[in-house]
Amino acid sequence: MKWISQDVETYLTAKEYVDTAVVPLYPVSLGEGMKQSAAAVEFITLLTAYLEKQFTGRILLFPPFTYLDSEQWDNILSDIHKWEDSIVASGFKHIFYVTSDLEWRSREDELNGTLIWLPSIPLEHMNDSQKLTMIDSQVKQIITIFTQKWHKND
Amino acid sequence: MSKDRVSRRQFLSYTLTGVGGFMAAGILMPMVRFAVDPVLKAEAAGEFVATKQKVADLTNEPVRVDFTYKQKDAWYESDVTESAWVYKDDAGKIIALSPVCKHLGCTVNWGSDKAHPDQFFCPCHYGRYTKDGTNVPGTPPLAPLDVYPFKEKDGYLYLGKAKPRKEA
Ligand code: FES
Repeated sequence: MKWISQDVETYLTAKEYVDTAVVPLYPVSLGEGMKQSAAAVEFITLLTAYLEKQFTGRILLFPPFTYLDSEQWDNILSDIHKWEDSIVASGFKHIFYVTSDLEWRSREDELNGTLIWLPSIPLEHMNDSQKLTMIDSQVKQIITIFTQKWHKND
Repeated sequence: MSKDRVSRRQFLSYTLTGVGGFMAAGILMPMVRFAVDPVLKAEAAGEFVATKQKVADLTNEPVRVDFTYKQKDAWYESDVTESAWVYKDDAGKIIALSPVCKHLGCTVNWGSDKAHPDQFFCPCHYGRYTKDGTNVPGTPPLAPLDVYPFKEKDGYLYLGKAKPRKEA
């Protein structure tokens, strides 16, 4: 389900089935890294939207957790921990983070959820069907990470 | 000079007529829309979208067929890609099923559950459907998969808007 009123309404009536929160992690850079930051956001947005389509009934796709890349990591981590606490407190059993920011790879252990890191693929020169094929193949790999995690707990 | 001057009373009455006109239009517009809408809707429902699938290539094994059309959300127009599971049944009739699980909307796959290789499987809460799209009792979905109306044109498959079936 998406973070739109209609889906959230469904979520509220079917909470016991929707036990997985998906949170995209978006770094924002200005200046030199701006273009790369935009490309990464574009890629992760498309990818998480496609993921949501596969798992509509079991995941809630959160609005992205967005941070300045110049921010201190201590602050970023303490913010994300606040998100984690509220998400868990509201009844979600699983949290998945999706990002292409390399920084998170070395901080994976500090997260309470599962980190899915993917190198950002530039979409700007692709046509729609190329995008679809590419995203589809990426998501296929991710899907098993979800189903395995669920399987362990179901 | 005084000839052209608009008196206070005239001014008010002009203004009010103007405002009233606007208000009337405001009330009438949605009414017109309501009146016209069903026609527009019916037309949209009758629209078929081309797919890349050649009808001759279809077998009795369901294949995923993707197709894209434009959808407008307020002022924002975007391309929406949908899929269908398509195969020919024993009588050679084409069946095109929506992959959207009738429980809570996940995407179902053909044969992805090892224990039931000839059923559609929903990975979210393990819902299952038989090949014709009928929901398997005892699994979460309570209705069969929606069905796409289809057309054949120049050898290619065209799909319409998926419609719910009666309960199994
Ligand atoms: S969404 Fe398919 S079984 Fe729940």
